Amino acid sequence: MSEGRGMFRNPYDIETPAGADGWESMYPGYFIFGDELRDRDESKLWFFDQMHNPEPVYPFDLMMPESWLVSLNQYTTRVWRLPTALGIEQRIVNGYLYLSPNVIEDPTAIAERAPTFDRRARHYFENWDEIYANWVEKATTCIEALKQISFQPLAEVEPEATVLEHRGTTTAFDLLTSYSRLLENAHEMAYFHFEMLNLAYGAYLTFLEFCRSHFPAITDDLVARMVAGIDVILYRPDAELRRLAGRAVELGVGDVLKGHEEPAEIVAALEGSAAGKEWLEDLEQVKDPWFYYSTGAGYCHANRAWIDDLRPPFSALRDYVARVERGEDLARPIAHLRAERERLADGYRDLLDDDEAPAFDSLLALSRQVFPFVENHNFYVEHWHHSIFFNKVRELGEVLVAAGMLEQSDDIYFLHRYEVYAVLYEAEAAWALGVPTRGQLTWRAEIARRRRIYSVLETWSPPPALGVPPEKVTEPITVTLFGINNETINRWLAAESASDADDDLRGLAASPGVAEGVARVVHRVEELDALEDGEILVCPLTAPSWSIVFARIGAAVSDGGGIMSHAAIVSREYELPAVVATGIGTQLVMTGDRLRVDGNTGVVTWLSRVERPAVTVP
Amino acid sequence: MEADLAERSAVSPSPKAPVVLATEECTAELVTVVGGKAVGLGSLIRSGQNVPASFVVSASAYLGYAAWRNDGGEGVPAELADEIVLAYQQLCQRQQSEVVVAVRSSATVEDSSDSSCAGQFSTYLGVSGDTDVVGTVERCWLSALAPHVSAYREARQLSAEDQGIAVVVQELVDAQTAGVMFTRHPRTGDRSLVVVEASYGLGEAVVGGEVIPDLFELNKVTGRVQERVLGSKPFEHRLSADGRAVETEAVDPDRQRAWSIGDETLEALLEMARQLESSIGRGLDIEWAIGSTRSDSSGSELFALQVRPITVDRRSAPLVASGSPVDIVLRRLGGGHHPHHGE
Repeated sequence: MSEGRGMFRNPYDIETPAGADGWESMYPGYFIFGDELRDRDESKLWFFDQMHNPEPVYPFDLMMPESWLVSLNQYTTRVWRLPTALGIEQRIVNGYLYLSPNVIEDPTAIAERAPTFDRRARHYFENWDEIYANWVEKATTCIEALKQISFQPLAEVEPEATVLEHRGTTTAFDLLTSYSRLLENAHEMAYFHFEMLNLAYGAYLTFLEFCRSHFPAITDDLVARMVAGIDVILYRPDAELRRLAGRAVELGVGDVLKGHEEPAEIVAALEGSAAGKEWLEDLEQVKDPWFYYSTGAGYCHANRAWIDDLRPPFSALRDYVARVERGEDLARPIAHLRAERERLADGYRDLLDDDEAPAFDSLLALSRQVFPFVENHNFYVEHWHHSIFFNKVRELGEVLVAAGMLEQSDDIYFLHRYEVYAVLYEAEAAWALGVPTRGQLTWRAEIARRRRIYSVLETWSPPPALGVPPEKVTEPITVTLFGINNETINRWLAAESASDADDDLRGLAASPGVAEGVARVVHRVEELDALEDGEILVCPLTAPSWSIVFARIGAAVSDGGGIMSHAAIVSREYELPAVVATGIGTQLVMTGDRLRVDGNTGVVTWLSRVERPAVTVP
Repeated sequence: MEADLAERSAVSPSPKAPVVLATEECTAELVTVVGGKAVGLGSLIRSGQNVPASFVVSASAYLGYAAWRNDGGEGVPAELADEIVLAYQQLCQRQQSEVVVAVRSSATVEDSSDSSCAGQFSTYLGVSGDTDVVGTVERCWLSALAPHVSAYREARQLSAEDQGIAVVVQELVDAQTAGVMFTRHPRTGDRSLVVVEASYGLGEAVVGGEVIPDLFELNKVTGRVQERVLGSKPFEHRLSADGRAVETEAVDPDRQRAWSIGDETLEALLEMARQLESSIGRGLDIEWAIGSTRSDSSGSELFALQVRPITVDRRSAPLVASGSPVDIVLRRLGGGHHPHHGE
């Protein structure tokens, strides 16, 4: 199939990198571009879900996308019956997740769906506060239920209690049912995740478009600042660190926090004094829930939360303690931020005519009413719930290691969640039999093969999009949840055809200001250690917990993300220039390049480049 | 156009009306007597802007002159000339020197919000001395009688008899930098922007489209400069040393590559735009200059030179958002209405 103008590469023409043959076997068949749907699949747009899954999807972690494949899309298609949209499809190419929206254009079909949508969505909007309060209850209950699930290795001998209590079933049965409960629990949270999200984003999108129609030059960032909550819980983990830093200085243990690298050493040193103990007690109080704060987007088990790895929060604490000692006030200037938000809103309202202002006010009020959900669900779902969830899976991994099925607990992530059933069942069979089973050998070999494939896939650079884009991207879920719109598509198309290496890199202007500096390309949170003060962070996408480095960087540039993405929010908070959604920034920029980042226009310009490795033509 | 500038006047020029008016007295209801330019200047003064000293020769004087010519008179009748000289002398006295002025026609058909024929009338720069001033006022009157102007008026179905022109005599600013600004985006109609064009020397280079000025877009709400585009400014018009002539000089390459105005000036211009929009009304086209007058060459300052309503509202139809916010959102999500204009 020839590639005409305005098309991305055909998904069927993408080659598997050498050494990754057979990657398809890690995923369910319906994730693979197969011949059965070829005519359909190669003629539509597929965009890379860099925002949530910047790295190859681990077979187990695929349950996160699979959960929304069902929950989000059920809401769109069957619950709300959004008049203009069906579900968003998913495929995997060389390990990377691609998505494709489906729109309804037939006026009859749209009209047929409209009354249901209007009635049901209206019910939610009109009862929003009550439903949201109830949502918080449901989410918290779900998280509490998750905490109760545990996985214990099977003992050599079934515990005495089974007999004395006449249970009838065994701990092996508990293990299997616990795993079912774990999956059900995660699936339940996935439904809660999307119960209110589409509608909330929809209200925001409408206000954004209203503003753009009256003020064509208004930037998304300004609209976001008029709507964004000031006191949202997503800022709490960082706020708690700032508070703890102040407390450490008060108690006179600031030097202990600054004096060691390893969190374990710091904790040991603090335990040596009464003041240190007092501070540690404070820390313990804060940990649940605020340290259930993932270092990633919350979709990959590899992004550990602060609760599991204290290095990121302790590293931030060192910095915060030093700032407190210099006399800085670390508290967020809430009153100032609030006044700034009102000043912007008043400023724009005052420019409108009298007959236009009421719609502005009412849409702004509705956006502000629904937006706490958008901001807060992130903590409940992606951070709090998912961090605990992945730890539970790791616990199960230990059980399978103990049962001799896996080499190490992390192996479990190379199994699809339904393969885990098979492995678990076989482990129980072996336990029941008292003699080895074949799978104890075959699964280890299979996981070793998958690890080799995965490490090859990690080095592959997924194109931002594949296939044929529609004339216009208007499907509201794509626009709001995934930040893909006409401009994004055009920019990617332009980037794909551009061969001139001197071209600027273009993205969305996410946080105003201009900064120049040396680029540091960072793919993973662990690489943040290398970052030097004042450097420009160039990354696939930042997670909220990366916010602790934002105090040190000069500007942020991310491949993915939208105007409400973490990098954008945190950059505005730190008043740093940020350009998001460049699509290919991490592929074009090299660490050491000097860049100018213009957060007003969304343009990143090269001031100088380090030498590129020679490209060999095969 | 709100308020001051657009009001239709009930006052008609007549030979009995005053020959000369103080510019600050030129309000909208006097537009047919003093013309749009004088009304604009008057509103700048009343808004507290820094405006070069000036006076206005009314359309009544023009009508008197026209009648005199019809009756076979030559030159400017003495009673008109005396009044103009008196006003000029008062101007010189106030500034304590022989003031160099610009003499501009202020037409009663020009600058009105539905008929933009700016530039059809005359401007003379670098005029000084009683005789020259009176002579230049007469040249403005003569050019108003010129056939091509009459043709334009006929096309607009206005007759010369009931209109006439006024003439503004204003101390000339020796501008180092000058330009125009629009208090809404000229292309998109975006009301949150002030678009500034600036170049070196007298503003005529910008107004007349002789150079590509530096372009700036300022956000009224945030105060931020959202866009800067460097222009092409190979030459500038400056006053000669004696102030009596305008000379065109080449701009050296370094200055061509530099911005003609800096952030401080942009801030001051934004403030001027805000003040004028709140005192006069929204949607203004403002001429400004930075420089000194010969009567006070001690330092350069920012002057407001002219204001007029933007004649065409190019805004495309914005979202018609009626009903409750929930109705609006449901319409958007339901595909019933996609509020990007032009879609």
